[in-house]
Amino acid sequence: MSTSLTSVFALGASYLLLMFLCALAVERGWIDRRITRHPAVYTLALGVYASAWAIYGSLELASRSGYGYLAYYLGVAGAFLLAPVLLVPIQRMTHTYQLSSLADLFAFRFRSRWVGTLITVISLFAVLPLLALQVQTLGDAIFLMTGAASPTLLALAFCSLIALFAMHFGARHSRPHARHDTLLAIIALSSIIKLAAMLTLGAIALFVVFDGPADLQVWLDGPGQAHQAGVIQPDSAHWRTLLLLFFAAALLMPHIFHITFAETLSRHTLLQASWSLPLFLLLLAIPVPLILWAGQRLGSDQVIGSAYLAFGLSDSFWVQALAFIAGLAATSGTMVLIALALSGMILNHVLLVAHPPEAKPNLYRWLRWLRQALIATVILGGWLFYRTVGVNHDLTTLGLAAFVGMAQCLPGLLALLYWPGANRKGMVTGLIAGTLIWLLGLWLPLLTGLSAVVLIPPGLEMLADEPDWYVVTLVSLAVNSLTFIIVSLATHTSDGERAAAEACSVDAVIRPKRLPLLAATGEEFKQPLARALGEEVAEREVARALTDLGLSPLDGRPYALRRLRDRIQANLSGLMGPSVAQDIVDRYLPYRRGGQEPTDDIHFVESRLEAYRSRLTGLARELDGLRRYHRRILTRLPVGLCAFGVDDELLMWNDALAELSGIDGTSVVGARRDGLPAPWGELLGRLLADRHDPLYKQAVELEDGTRYLTLHRAELKADGDILGGTVILIEDHSEMKWLEDELVHAARLASIGQLAAGVAHEIGNPITGISSLAQNLRYDTDDPQILETAEQIQQLTDRVSRIVSSLVGFAHGGRHVSGTGLVPVSVAAVADEALHLIRLARSGEDVRYHNHCPLEPKVIGDVQRLQQVMINLLSNARDASDPGGDIVIAAEPEGSLLKVTVTDEGHGLDARVRDHLFEPFTTTKPPGEGTGLGLPLVYSIIAEHHGRIEIESPPPGQERGTRICLWLPTERQDGEDINEPNSDR
Amino acid sequence: MYVYRIMLLLVFGGYLLSPLLMSGWSSPGVAWYRPFVIWGILIALTLWLEQKRKLDEH
Repeated sequence: MSTSLTSVFALGASYLLLMFLCALAVERGWIDRRITRHPAVYTLALGVYASAWAIYGSLELASRSGYGYLAYYLGVAGAFLLAPVLLVPIQRMTHTYQLSSLADLFAFRFRSRWVGTLITVISLFAVLPLLALQVQTLGDAIFLMTGAASPTLLALAFCSLIALFAMHFGARHSRPHARHDTLLAIIALSSIIKLAAMLTLGAIALFVVFDGPADLQVWLDGPGQAHQAGVIQPDSAHWRTLLLLFFAAALLMPHIFHITFAETLSRHTLLQASWSLPLFLLLLAIPVPLILWAGQRLGSDQVIGSAYLAFGLSDSFWVQALAFIAGLAATSGTMVLIALALSGMILNHVLLVAHPPEAKPNLYRWLRWLRQALIATVILGGWLFYRTVGVNHDLTTLGLAAFVGMAQCLPGLLALLYWPGANRKGMVTGLIAGTLIWLLGLWLPLLTGLSAVVLIPPGLEMLADEPDWYVVTLVSLAVNSLTFIIVSLATHTSDGERAAAEACSVDAVIRPKRLPLLAATGEEFKQPLARALGEEVAEREVARALTDLGLSPLDGRPYALRRLRDRIQANLSGLMGPSVAQDIVDRYLPYRRGGQEPTDDIHFVESRLEAYRSRLTGLARELDGLRRYHRRILTRLPVGLCAFGVDDELLMWNDALAELSGIDGTSVVGARRDGLPAPWGELLGRLLADRHDPLYKQAVELEDGTRYLTLHRAELKADGDILGGTVILIEDHSEMKWLEDELVHAARLASIGQLAAGVAHEIGNPITGISSLAQNLRYDTDDPQILETAEQIQQLTDRVSRIVSSLVGFAHGGRHVSGTGLVPVSVAAVADEALHLIRLARSGEDVRYHNHCPLEPKVIGDVQRLQQVMINLLSNARDASDPGGDIVIAAEPEGSLLKVTVTDEGHGLDARVRDHLFEPFTTTKPPGEGTGLGLPLVYSIIAEHHGRIEIESPPPGQERGTRICLWLPTERQDGEDINEPNSDR
Repeated sequence: MYVYRIMLLLVFGGYLLSPLLMSGWSSPGVAWYRPFVIWGILIALTLWLEQKRKLDEH
């Protein structure tokens, strides 16, 4: 034991430098985030539980109680084994409501700032002995290595370095919930170092001091028996009480709570820790008896205290350095985290409660500064406690005093999770009673050296001979729990507490009310909040909450505003604790009071149920399955459906309605009826105002045109727990309306068709007369002009006859009535003829026509009907063209077909109309100018010719216009008879 | 959730029976590592339950 002070200091400083470099590497991003956020890092960081007690205290306990030392490890392993039912619900709560400490959790659940303050004070009192224990092991280790006269000053130097380190890397973010990758990484590294050091020391004990496991077993069965004579195994009751204490420590100790919940990466990592942390602790626990037995074999236990037997394994500097570094790693990690956790608790529950930050300029920096000052104070407070009190006690006494103190919060924590009926008065009374017993029984004797004052209840006199820690634990926890239960049952629970109990309880779902806020949009939150937080912080907090929720600042849905308010409260809770956060939102973002009795926010309740699905079992799971099934029925109903609460807030907007309206349900659910986008607000308002009749075929202008909607409604009467409201069905009757209109149109056309035969007969006679007269005229004159006119009159009368004939044919089912067969026809000639006729019309005189069709090849067809096709296409092209436009008729062979195109430069066709152009009555022309029969007729004629037709609009290479492409056969089809009989005959 | 009940049972049973762990401290003929082997088996059991829970949730 002759190491120099300088060497020890250099050793410690090197370790802290390594930590510093690790922190720097993480902060600068030199280490991949996949590594720093790996679940193993989180598990190793949880290893901070293994404080100096695990390195030195366990040796001391093992030398007294044998395997009793395992309680320290198995207690926390049991707590993590119950992670799914115990830790995950707490993690969910702390994450949802941004609660970063036990005091936050209690203040949130029991709706009192003073509860938070009480928990903070108790934690401070309980943790001081634990902090002192850390410093004491540091001082003792330095003394053992150097024999220095004043190890306390060296311990102070190390404490100062640790405090600086914690202030620099632990409190850089004012928000405790900001992810501390750096902190996790350095705590994980310290866990690796202490584990590696302990395993190496264990290996030295097993293979250097002993000659392997067999030699150890021989020694244990022989000479070792004498050394174990002093070991008093704890009886079952003591053992179970120890287990309970360490189980509670895993949940309640401020630093463990901080690392488990405030720094957790995800639920998955927490669940993974349920087996990986016990594995880590197992590896850490195995070397303890090995080192103890090796020390006993070497006789070191007679020279140095059993807690520090690792230093006696060898005189080698490096073996002692390992023992020192293992202790320093455990001590530094624990002190850093305790300081961080306690500083946050003191800040949120003592300082900010006493002096709320009223529009403090530069709030974030002010909070950071306060935090850093508190970190230094806590660590130096721990050193002071060690210097004045700790030096007079062994590690076990100090440790047990701390653990029994923190265990007083266990009844409150369990009630918080599993007993919604628990109230603040019961919790506070029980906690104070239990804490007083602990203070008198363990803490004050620690401070004063006087014997413990333990009040043993009548009937439990047999406890008088038991150790103080055991009696105090039993009595304090029993009195605490009983008082808690009795007072809670006997006193009134406030509504606020009930709501918080639902939020915290494992088996209950929070059921907030649908209260309207005074602010109308998220943007309006900023001004009132600025009065409490200052403009800059208010803007940032509102923007952050909006980003978290993915909401727009102008979203005015009451549901969205309520969620925004909750989110801001949760975020402020992470910054300043739940008490101050609640005060701020209650004061500056108040609800609008008066009006209707608020009802449950069932949309929110349902969203919570969706999240809780994996937690449901048995009947609840079956019922949830049914709920989901019924909800799916409503959501997937092929008819539009929406539902309103009694306060006109929209509760449901199903998929069919979303498709019809083009409005996604998530963007409108939670809005008030009058806040819905046009025309829905007004339309639904009309239906709701009219108490009796449905609205039939209401013309509504939507994005894809006019729709005809029929709306039905049904009242949902409120009955006890069943909520009231209105459900509305919206049927789209547009197709039916269209069909009705078409039916009327078709009926009119049918009557025209019936008239057509008569008209044809009546027109036929005068036309025949005109035709005869025109023919006679040709014989009566040689004037070429008159002859041409007569010829044209004859052609036109023929055309009139054919048109009338076609009209009758179409009216009779679209079948042609011509008896002519198919013959080779020149498309160029057909086009010329059509152009000739079409130029007779007065309209479109200024449109230029170009016939580029070659004379060959000819197509197989009916000249008259092909001419009818061409006239229809050309007249359509003319009507679509602007004055001065060009219309080009072209043709080119494509295999056994001839492709004929009619191209214009007109306004083109809308895509939706284009798909229906070959259907009867589809027209792009103004009413009265088109019948919608032309192109169906063309289609029908081309089909008769075994050809096909396509429309390109705009044609390739043109910005506008339309091209009609026809493909007609140039060869006779198999089996086609030139004198094919007319099917009408 | 049924897995959670098994865990609860395991922890409660372990709590009641855990005093048996201590009986082997330097008793002649009892392997010194016995408590650690039992502990290791419990960890393996927890790992298996955790895998089962993951499968249940998917």
